Amino acid sequence: MEKYVYLTLFAPLAGSLFAAMFGMSKKNLITGIVTSALLFVSLFSSLMLLGYVDEEHIVKVNLFDWISAGNFDVSFGFIADQVSVIMMVTVTTVSALVHVYSIGYMDHDEGFNRFFSYLSAFVFSMLVLVMSDNFLGLFIGWEGVGLCSWLLIGFWYYKKDLPREIYPAISPSWAANEAFIMNRIADLGMLIGLFLIYWNVGSLNYDVVFKNIPNVDISIVVLIGIFLFIGAMGKSAQFPLHTWLADAMEGPTPVSALIHAATMVTAGVYLVVRANEVFSLIPNVGMFIASLGAFVAVFAATMALVNNDLKKIIAYSTLSQLGYMFVAAGLGAYWVALFHLMTHAFFKSLLFLGAGNVMHAMNDELNIKKMGGLYSKMKWTAILMIIASLALAGIYPFAGFFSKDKILEVAFSEHAYILWFMLWIGAGLTAFYSFRLIMLVFFGEERYKRFGFHPHEAYAFMLWAMAPLGVLAVISGFFEHSFKEYVTAILPDYEAHIEPHIVGYVLIALTLTMALSGILFAVYKYSRGGFSKKWEETWIYKLLFNQYYIPQLYEKFITKPYAELSKIAWKDIDLKIVDSTVDFIATTLYDAGDKSRVIQSGNLSKMLRWMAIGLIVLLIAAII
Amino acid sequence: MDSILTLLIFFPFIAGMFGFMIDQKSIRAYGISVAFIEFALSLVLWFGFDSQNPGFQFIEQFPLIPQYGISYFLGVDGISLFLVILSTFMTLIALIGLTIEKDVKNLIISILFLEMTMVGVFVSLDVIIFYVFWELSLVPMLYIIGAWGAKLRIYAAIKFFLYTFAGSLIMLVGILYMAYLYYQATGVWSFAIPDWQLLVVPFHIQLWLFAAFFIGFAIKVPMFPFHTWLPYAHGQAPTIGSVILAAVLLKMGTYGFVRFSLPMFPDASIYFITPIAVIAIIMVIYTAMIAYAQEDMKQVIAYSSISHMGIIIIGTFAMNAEGITGSIFLMLSHGIVSGALFMLVGNIYDRRHTKLMSEFGGLAKVMPKYATIFGIMLMASVGLPLTIGFVGEFLSLIGFYKVSPTMTFLAGTGIILGAVYMLSLYKKSFFGELTNEKNKNLKDLNKMELASLIPLVLLVAYLGIYPKPVLNPIDNSVKNMIELMEKKSITKEAKELIKKANSIEEAK
Repeated sequence: MEKYVYLTLFAPLAGSLFAAMFGMSKKNLITGIVTSALLFVSLFSSLMLLGYVDEEHIVKVNLFDWISAGNFDVSFGFIADQVSVIMMVTVTTVSALVHVYSIGYMDHDEGFNRFFSYLSAFVFSMLVLVMSDNFLGLFIGWEGVGLCSWLLIGFWYYKKDLPREIYPAISPSWAANEAFIMNRIADLGMLIGLFLIYWNVGSLNYDVVFKNIPNVDISIVVLIGIFLFIGAMGKSAQFPLHTWLADAMEGPTPVSALIHAATMVTAGVYLVVRANEVFSLIPNVGMFIASLGAFVAVFAATMALVNNDLKKIIAYSTLSQLGYMFVAAGLGAYWVALFHLMTHAFFKSLLFLGAGNVMHAMNDELNIKKMGGLYSKMKWTAILMIIASLALAGIYPFAGFFSKDKILEVAFSEHAYILWFMLWIGAGLTAFYSFRLIMLVFFGEERYKRFGFHPHEAYAFMLWAMAPLGVLAVISGFFEHSFKEYVTAILPDYEAHIEPHIVGYVLIALTLTMALSGILFAVYKYSRGGFSKKWEETWIYKLLFNQYYIPQLYEKFITKPYAELSKIAWKDIDLKIVDSTVDFIATTLYDAGDKSRVIQSGNLSKMLRWMAIGLIVLLIAAII
Repeated sequence: MDSILTLLIFFPFIAGMFGFMIDQKSIRAYGISVAFIEFALSLVLWFGFDSQNPGFQFIEQFPLIPQYGISYFLGVDGISLFLVILSTFMTLIALIGLTIEKDVKNLIISILFLEMTMVGVFVSLDVIIFYVFWELSLVPMLYIIGAWGAKLRIYAAIKFFLYTFAGSLIMLVGILYMAYLYYQATGVWSFAIPDWQLLVVPFHIQLWLFAAFFIGFAIKVPMFPFHTWLPYAHGQAPTIGSVILAAVLLKMGTYGFVRFSLPMFPDASIYFITPIAVIAIIMVIYTAMIAYAQEDMKQVIAYSSISHMGIIIIGTFAMNAEGITGSIFLMLSHGIVSGALFMLVGNIYDRRHTKLMSEFGGLAKVMPKYATIFGIMLMASVGLPLTIGFVGEFLSLIGFYKVSPTMTFLAGTGIILGAVYMLSLYKKSFFGELTNEKNKNLKDLNKMELASLIPLVLLVAYLGIYPKPVLNPIDNSVKNMIELMEKKSITKEAKELIKKANSIEEAK
């Protein structure tokens, strides 16, 4: 079985290196085909492992030692257990389909080969992240996906910077740097967490850490939990490190589907799930995680309500759903978090790929106010996106219903009623913005005609690549029980206890009603031309539209002051104070020598006089 | 193998002397061949090195001035071995990448002399010999900056020389006093480093001696606030000068801390941990900010060097094997990465005769190979895992965490600020629209440039993925040194700190 571990892990790397060989030459279809084929190899191997792994059969491989110094020792070890196998299958499924889709999407792009090289490198890093058997290996993947995300957000690096007022994400390269730096801030937190673990347990291997963590002083475990979660906040774009995700939509749409919806951004959730032995010891930190998650779930959803950017709406929706996952993980329902992670990966990537089709049809136009009535032109895309939106909104029998509803149940059964209420509101908002998007894009007046667009449906094979995701978005919810059985072999078993049973059914009904009314409201409102212009002038609309002015605040209070302070440090402190002092000492010495040189005049009587002065000075010194 | 160290030191010197007789046209090939043989010799040294033995190997010793115990005493251990290889390797790489035409003969001969002094510093086990090479290394560099530099070259060269020379003189006073102490304690004169390392110096004297050596080393590193010579030197030096300066010469200072300050004055080193760590943190944050404010590409790299040296200092003063081994590894990786970055800046300077970032933008479009290699080095510089930059940085920080979590956190902000200035450099120069007409027809890297850069890229990846062959010998020697420090430390604080820094918390 080891060979399947290697195959899963290294097939994408091989693909990436293969494509990289063509990186600087013209578009070559073979790079797309080879990388996609290798991803199917990877998918196949992880499915084999999915079938193989159970309580007795956990596959571990150890490649070779990496870093060892002092007592510190870490090697490249990989593990395929229930949790990592679920992640592997999710990642490779979405990746393989996105690769195929991208062959069509990037068809006319001159960076075609480069794109596939980066994309496969991303999959490799993501697999390292989920398959490592130690925290430092996870950190390799963690930084690796960050690097690939930087490369892919900034894929169209040659676009120029635009003024911030009209275009919040100045340019792809700007957005890429923002994402990298924001993540680095969180990574520092993560590193501190690793340092704490090492100095208290003596190892970074999951086995050793989780075995010994109950013996560690609880105050230290709390710190470990907090710092690891800070790391998770960066990758999963939780408030206040969330601004990069919306700007990351500068990247090509398949990238948004794969990295910024299905896989990389869920790494933070994976970390919390993986370190459940740590987080179960510290329920207070868990409660904080859950509360922040619930806050983000609503906070991000509200921003999605009014945005007109096709991709940004979906990006905020991703943020919001990540919040849901953190609620489950924070409250100790790790398998529920993982379950939502998986279903979300399917329907959210589907939604993004659909958005990609729309963008192609509309010559990369993103403003949904300029679309409308596209259903007649691109029926299949519309159907797939509607399926994805229904799943996202949590309508029975689509996948999102099962996983999201479970999270609400968890919140209720933990007596976190406030969280439940927030998530409930969030469910309504989700349903509303999803169908606002659907209505504005696919139905109603054909506004695109005014702007001279000639939309067309995407290539058939791109639709075929989306179809499996469509199927999964419908059916994956029904695997709930077998999923639970599978992963709770190593994750804590969590069962929501809501007494009496009738309350549980009432809750489900309430949630469904909320979601349905969100959908119906959106459909009703936007089939009649949407909201009036007046709404757009209210302060609340402006607040939401400007993302609560948070990017502006960061710009004003962090970015600009830092730049100015740097200038001061250089020009005023380093040059004017530190360096001038050095030069001052040097010139003083030089001048002293220069001035006292006259003493050496060779005039005997002068020299005698100086000698007498010297003698007197020395005598005085001797007396004192 | 008996006198391989002597050969390593003097081969470049003798070859350099013969270089005067070589024709101007063939001097480059000659220089590269000599550097290559020298590099091969250093590899032979590595293969012959027993990595299980933590002590000094390949020892050569014969007395020079027996009355004062001064001898010609050479040897390497895990700590110095790779610094020697780094010196020979970077000299070779820098010579391959050399593009200067003017007086190239004299330049290459200076480089070969410089190579002698670098190797000499790292393999000397007699303090006088060490000091001789230490000071001699200034002369070729003074000449390289002063003769082949940019506009302000004379100012920069003299500043570099006088500043570091002043520091060394204070160190010399310390050396002489230390020798006198040794004579007082034992009745015999000796300048042998292993002897000195065994001498237990009274605490209050340790403080003074530590301070004397500190000034010499701190100016060389350079540590804040003694760093202002470096931006000038880099700003004016030709590419090859900057490469060697950043890659090797700065490491002499940090090497000095490991070889002298820690084992000879363990109590003083521990006594001064906090102030030194504060200086190191200032280096990390303050120079990272200055680097961000720069307009000139080369100055960004120059200031970033100081920032990285801050992490090296932090690791050195972690007082545990994790930190010290990490800091020595970081010396190597910084040597390779900053050397590569300076060479890359040199490549674009050769084409455009400017280093101002505002002149560029969109270079990735016309020079994809250049952009790729620059990108790889950038990632190594910000310490991405699986590049060479991560290993040392991680170990240095994890080591110091045991001494002070708060200060480690502050020093750790370097990983954020480093990304800030490097990514902003990359965006300004390589991304965006290609607007400047002069850049539209730039040629991508040629074969010679690739030949000098690709080995560095391979090394960055190889040692990032598999650092063990290098880490292992370093770690053995470092552990040995820490044992010695623990044994000879006299204050209670020092003993406790070394013990604490080297133990994992007992699980309660």
